[in-house]
Amino acid sequence: MNESEKELSSEESLKLINRMIHEAKGYFHESGLGALVYGFGVLLCSLLAYAVDVKMISFPFSPFYLLVPVFFVQSLIHWRENKMKKAKTFTDETIDYVWTGFFLSAIAAFSANFAGKTYVTITIILFLAGFATFLTGMIAKFNYHKISGIICLLLASVSFFMQDAIIYLLLAITAAMVWIIPGFILNMTFKKQQYAR
Amino acid sequence: MFKELDPILHSQLRLAVMSLLISVKEAEFTFIREKTNSTAGNLSVQVQKLKEAGYIEVNKQFKDNYPQTTCKVTPKGIEAFENYVMALQEYLQVRKQ
Repeated sequence: MNESEKELSSEESLKLINRMIHEAKGYFHESGLGALVYGFGVLLCSLLAYAVDVKMISFPFSPFYLLVPVFFVQSLIHWRENKMKKAKTFTDETIDYVWTGFFLSAIAAFSANFAGKTYVTITIILFLAGFATFLTGMIAKFNYHKISGIICLLLASVSFFMQDAIIYLLLAITAAMVWIIPGFILNMTFKKQQYAR
Repeated sequence: MFKELDPILHSQLRLAVMSLLISVKEAEFTFIREKTNSTAGNLSVQVQKLKEAGYIEVNKQFKDNYPQTTCKVTPKGIEAFENYVMALQEYLQVRKQ
């Protein structure tokens, strides 16, 4: 009887099932590059918007329009990484749905900008980012995201009392917490995984 | 009375493949081979048996000019796997008593 046909005892079977489920759940193929590109994009736009608002510099259009090409680059990176994945996990799929929901809601919230409610738009985006980050942490069982999601929600609450240029700095802090730091963590883990192979 | 253990699942490699596939939406053949530490030939045979039993779906396509095989567990496979785990648990409980 060859190895593949080998009959197992009940204990061996359960151990094998556990080990394989653990192996599958531990799989991820995410370089963190998409999060870094988007995070630095939001950070730069927020700082520019702050500088424009306090009249430090002048800018021909709203700096947030710069996020449109950034969004396309980030989507391209995400699409390429998805193509490279050898397995599609349910966790990845659920997290993708959460962030697609975030982006669609953020675009919808951006319409408040045209009604002259610029600062309120940022507050809504902070709430959405906090909510999506917290959900990501719960789904991926990643404590960093759970905590940063809660901090982000607190910043969103504080932003109600800061309906002025300072709100852009809150958005910059959020970008660093939600995309840039996790992006670096993912990138380091990814590189370690690549070296291990 | 004990439930009989499904003979399709009660073999090392086939059970490993099913346990992997039950935890993901779909997986490439190379991923399964890597995780189960099996040879391509042996894995192909076992994957074919699982496919014939209707427990998994196998898709063959081309990705960047290279053939790519992906496997996905079917609803019948999920049911068989759940029954298998339940039967195992029954065996273990009786042994403990």
